[in-house]
Amino acid sequence: MTSTFQLSEEGAAFVKRELNRYEDRHSAIIPALYRVQKENNGWVSPESVTYLSHLMDLPESEIEEVLRFYTMFNTKPVGRHHVQVCCNISCAMNGGRELADRLCQEFDVHDGEISGDGRFTISRVECLGACDKAPMMQVNDTFCEGLTEEKAIEILREMK
Amino acid sequence: MPKCTINGKSIEVKPGTTIIQAFKEAGEEIAHYCWHPALSVAGVCRLCMVQIEGQPKLQIACNTVVADNMVITNKSEPVKDAVRWGMDFHLINHPLDCPICDQAGECGLQEQYMRYGQYDPEMAEPKQKKHKVIDLGPTVVLDSERCILCSRCVRFTEEVTKTNELGIFNRGDRSEIGTFHNKPLNNNYSYNTIDICPVGALTSKDFRFRQRVWYLKEARSICTGCSTGCNVNVYFNEEGTWRVKPVQNDKVNGYWMCDKGRDVYKFTNLPVRLTSGKTGSKDNWNLLEAGALAKDVGATIRAAARSGADKIALVITGQYSNEDYDALFQFFSVGLGVQNIYHWINNPEDMNGFDGLLFRGDRNPNTKGLVARLEKYGVKTKWLDLEDKIKAHDLTHIVIAGPENHSVFPDLETKLRLFDQVPNVVWLSAGKSVAVDGLTAVTTQIPMKTFIEKDGTYTNYAGLEQKVKRGTTIVAGALTLEEAVHLMSGEELDMNMRPLPPKYLKTNFLVHKGGPL
Repeated sequence: MTSTFQLSEEGAAFVKRELNRYEDRHSAIIPALYRVQKENNGWVSPESVTYLSHLMDLPESEIEEVLRFYTMFNTKPVGRHHVQVCCNISCAMNGGRELADRLCQEFDVHDGEISGDGRFTISRVECLGACDKAPMMQVNDTFCEGLTEEKAIEILREMK
Repeated sequence: MPKCTINGKSIEVKPGTTIIQAFKEAGEEIAHYCWHPALSVAGVCRLCMVQIEGQPKLQIACNTVVADNMVITNKSEPVKDAVRWGMDFHLINHPLDCPICDQAGECGLQEQYMRYGQYDPEMAEPKQKKHKVIDLGPTVVLDSERCILCSRCVRFTEEVTKTNELGIFNRGDRSEIGTFHNKPLNNNYSYNTIDICPVGALTSKDFRFRQRVWYLKEARSICTGCSTGCNVNVYFNEEGTWRVKPVQNDKVNGYWMCDKGRDVYKFTNLPVRLTSGKTGSKDNWNLLEAGALAKDVGATIRAAARSGADKIALVITGQYSNEDYDALFQFFSVGLGVQNIYHWINNPEDMNGFDGLLFRGDRNPNTKGLVARLEKYGVKTKWLDLEDKIKAHDLTHIVIAGPENHSVFPDLETKLRLFDQVPNVVWLSAGKSVAVDGLTAVTTQIPMKTFIEKDGTYTNYAGLEQKVKRGTTIVAGALTLEEAVHLMSGEELDMNMRPLPPKYLKTNFLVHKGGPL
């Protein structure tokens, strides 16, 4: 199978470095998948798994096992901005679920799907580890904490 | 050498032996799913719990190494309780579809539930729904709901075939076995994953829904698909044979066999068999009883030999047993003085091929035995000599101890066109063939028995002689090569020579060994 996806030169070098960093080559799968997700518009495609398998000299099935085990890897395409709203206990008690519903309504998108204009994917997630500033959401790699519904909408409106 | 006590039995084991291996050595029963002697330890099924004296918690036997003076039991109440709970957890999402499941009757869950479970299930929640009837490739069908995630098949593709097709995807109660991006599981050993699957999750496309296993009898035999000679059980009933499965033999095949070998039962069944003797030529065949035909043709050949044995040729394939060859050489070489004896090599190009595990390019079970006899009787002919002789019309009779398994003889038709140039052809084979029926020479076809229908010894690639016993009879009118040669030499066949049928054939076939239905 010829793969259409390729990491950038720095990306490939990063993966190679990670491979030598751990005792077991399998340990490099998570950092490698993160890198791929970053360079592949926020998701990991089957082609990119095939590419990684050649690059890392590991079987595709083993990379896929890691990919499908962890929820932080997206196996489907996402919008330009991936909004993850925490709905775990502290956030839920402070209106996290309502926040997620409101955002979906405001930007006309279903939970876990891409909005019509391709800007957002809004998904409900479990604890992101910022319980002290609940409710919170993570937009791409940034934590937005201590939110109200209006504040969250304002943040997202500014994102193009 | 550490000594330990297992359920009261004192045994001595090799250093590094795990408790479960020690249990097997001591001949003690122990519940387990994920552990397989030829695979790595996974420790995921949690059923092989044992109690070790002096340790507060139960341990899994598969991943605990025996230490000196360990006192181990799995008969205590805490162990029985843990195993019962383990069974309960395994069966939480397992569908109770045993009546339509192909594994029923040889299922690890059924067996171990009856032996160690027998609890009242306390699970009130609905069962997790998963994918069913997933096509994993040319040989295997997966039912994820039945899978208990023991990971034996995953470890098999990882460690034995090293092809890594299978993996466990997703997590928790959504975990499922699968292949990356629905790639097919198509290595030459894929049927083994079905054998080691302790439940009905992986089933064989070739066998599923064709027979209930409790109606099948099994006979120990060897695979005649190539020169490795893997030990197998052939499963059969009164309608014929249905499948073969490997049997452990560390000297030959370990625990496995290849997918190509799984097909060996197919050429033993009636639809592809030559069921009666035939004489005549193209479009004009008389059916005759095989024994009478062998006597007739034997008389003709003996008469021809008296006027010149050099006008007779004998062609032999590597598909018969050593006993068959001995009789054949005794009659033709010693008795008639025939010198024109030729070895029909079906696939000269990859005769020495080997895939690194079990499968060999020599698709005959007994090439080694034949070659040894060719040497013993001083035969040094080359195939090209035969072609020259036929083209020069030097031969009047050609006797061919033809293939049992026609599918591994791609050159069958080419060779038959060559033999057709000899005026009289004697064709000994188990299979029927349109090509043979189209011969224009005066032809005698004598039906042969297949490997499962006769006793015999086969010499494998390494020179190991394996004795095979008769399992069943499919074509009662067929002869073994040995019998045919006896009749051809003018002797009467002593029917006492044939082994008596196994006992079960005399009793009601539908009475299973486990008891009446």
